[in-house]
Amino acid sequence: MIIPLNQHIFNITQQNNLCEGFGNRVWVHPNQQKGSYIQPSSFSSHGSDDWGRGGGGGGGGGRRDNAKSSEFSFSSQNRFSELSAPSTFDRRGMTGDDDDKKLEVIQTDMEIWESSGQWCFSCYSNSKTPLSGFTDFSPEELRLEYYSTRASGDLQGYVNGVNQLLSQWRSRVQELKVMNPAIRTALLSELNNPAPQASSGGFGLTNTTGFGSSAPDFGSRGFGALAPVQASSFSFAAPSGGFGSSGAPSAPTGFGSALAAPTQPLSGFGSSSVPVPLASTFPFAAPASDKPAVASGFGTASGFNFASTANTGSGFGSSFGAEAPVAAGSSSVFGQTSGGFGTTTVPPAAGTGSVSVALNSLFSPESKLAPDELNQFKAKRFTLGQIPLKPPPANMLVV
Amino acid sequence: MSIFGSSGFGTGGTGVFGSTAADSHNPMKDIEVTSPPDDSISCLAFSPPSLPGNFLIGGSWANDVRCWEVQDNGQTVPKAQQMHTGPVLDACWSDDGSKVFTASCDKTAKMWDLNSNQAMQIAQHDGPIKAIHWIKAPNYSCIMTGSWDKTLKFWDTRSPNPMMSLQMPERCYCADVVYPMAVVATAERGLIVYQLENQPSEFRRIDSPLKHQHRCVAIFKDKQNKPTGFALGSIEGRVAIHYINPPNPAKDNFTFKCHRSNGTNTTTPQDIYAVNAISFHPVHGTLATVGSDGRFSFWDKDARTKLKTSEQLDQPITACCFNHNGNIFAYASSYDWSKGHEYYNPQKKNYIFLRNAAEELKPRNKK
Repeated sequence: MIIPLNQHIFNITQQNNLCEGFGNRVWVHPNQQKGSYIQPSSFSSHGSDDWGRGGGGGGGGGRRDNAKSSEFSFSSQNRFSELSAPSTFDRRGMTGDDDDKKLEVIQTDMEIWESSGQWCFSCYSNSKTPLSGFTDFSPEELRLEYYSTRASGDLQGYVNGVNQLLSQWRSRVQELKVMNPAIRTALLSELNNPAPQASSGGFGLTNTTGFGSSAPDFGSRGFGALAPVQASSFSFAAPSGGFGSSGAPSAPTGFGSALAAPTQPLSGFGSSSVPVPLASTFPFAAPASDKPAVASGFGTASGFNFASTANTGSGFGSSFGAEAPVAAGSSSVFGQTSGGFGTTTVPPAAGTGSVSVALNSLFSPESKLAPDELNQFKAKRFTLGQIPLKPPPANMLVV
Repeated sequence: MSIFGSSGFGTGGTGVFGSTAADSHNPMKDIEVTSPPDDSISCLAFSPPSLPGNFLIGGSWANDVRCWEVQDNGQTVPKAQQMHTGPVLDACWSDDGSKVFTASCDKTAKMWDLNSNQAMQIAQHDGPIKAIHWIKAPNYSCIMTGSWDKTLKFWDTRSPNPMMSLQMPERCYCADVVYPMAVVATAERGLIVYQLENQPSEFRRIDSPLKHQHRCVAIFKDKQNKPTGFALGSIEGRVAIHYINPPNPAKDNFTFKCHRSNGTNTTTPQDIYAVNAISFHPVHGTLATVGSDGRFSFWDKDARTKLKTSEQLDQPITACCFNHNGNIFAYASSYDWSKGHEYYNPQKKNYIFLRNAAEELKPRNKK
């Protein structure tokens, strides 16, 4: 079994030291000499790449970790660099110096954060507990919120919410960079008197004040950690009405130059994601009631020949009562057609097993339709003799 | 003449995909998987060794999970597809390769029987399920689901009620399982190790070695093939290597920077990208990281050196995985929302690439 997974060699105190020991060491492997390794990293300057730079312009470059000594330089040598010594976890030394160091580290980290374009909606800590004033949202959570909101047609609420988070982040970062005496005092008290620790069951941020809370609250442990992301509770309360027409996020969000929002946000996306029933209506109890949301355009079970090689003995059939494996010829159902998967929402009844070559999907993307065809779909009625042979785009279906 | 054999990486036979020389969507000229999903790919998983051949599963934000067969000559054949009613965030295989488990924003997890091509719901949470793993213990088998509802639940797939539900301090952001160890990283830099022998229980809460949001985690094993630690990636272009019980934690545990822009130009601040996924090579024990910068890198954590960094793709790389014998490295190129909604282009094609991994992931020093 695992070597001492069940032995608590380290008690909590040592655990702390363990963390603090990170990054104090300049690590140089004795076997590694400069230049004896593989190609240097091929990072290129990102001045002109597609993604641009997020975040504000911020102050200058500040202290760069990797500008220091060659051991820390990431690109010139293929070496791992640890958290550089002055940052983070060094707790040795006098209390006064210690505090100053901690604050310096925070300042530097804020400068770097602002100029690096990295994800803004992240917690931050240079000690055990997260620093107040930052919310932790993963890109997936924001993305889901976008998708859910989009389905309802009004993206402005989402955009406003994101903008609000962004400005909260910016002002917090600015405060910490500037570090006026008031902030300094508040920070020090926070750092030296951390809130109850993880062992008590929480990481401190359990307020569910949700979005829309205005000023960062230094006294408490910071912004509300959001309640579980459900479409209903994830409310971006729009403080003010007008940013212009809905659906067009015209306000600069700091993510770089804002691309024009598509007026038909769902056009190219087909009908694949309709996350309206995110509030689960799924009846769990009976699997039978589970709609076979199978892409049954691929045919019945017998068409699913899992055995790829010539020996058709699939070995799975027996214990699961599947039908006898069909001859290898059935694999031609999938063939090499580029639209092998078709569209993502295939009504169970439609086209069972018939993946025709001409109609690779139930819907056509608009880009694949000629102007005439598009006009036909847009018109109230088809004109006889001009009815398109291709299926309509998904977003043109009137339900 | 396996293109994925260790005898070498044959680029012949991939000309059918027609990538031009300066094609930034596939600068590494790797094999393109046919019929990729219509929206960003959230997860990739290869079939276990119990299945002959290689089958790849990919879940996406188009609410679907797709299965391809990857043939030895590099051809990919779409096999089947299942749907959720919300974006799919994670997927995994059962150990015998007969089932695929999928986790979705629709707060459910499904069990997909590949033989019958039927899927049924086997788990329910109060929030989107971010991580799903199959656990095979000597005395039990079950599914582990980690959700944004701050719970970690275990399901035996036959009952609508979980076998066990563990409370977490925060939303589950990522998890990994290598029996008898499981690691879950949560929001607010939470990090919990579970031990799975007899029944799952919390083993230790760890102070995060990283300063920013946790994004991905992968367990690694020691020379005796037992799980002994994990690699943890954050949104700040950094990975921490953490051993559970090392002889000398201060020396043995470390972090390294990755997925950052050119660092030699020290007058301008560098761009820092999120590490979207980490995968360990099943044979060599070396690891791959993929990032928002659209690159993948291979690393040797024992020699503490980088083995390779790819050219930059024109989109972030959102997921990666190795096949069971480590000959194939799959990575997905699609938008990861790292720059918000303005950079989301639903029209942009998403890709899954396959690369011969037998040679490039060999450790630097033979010990």
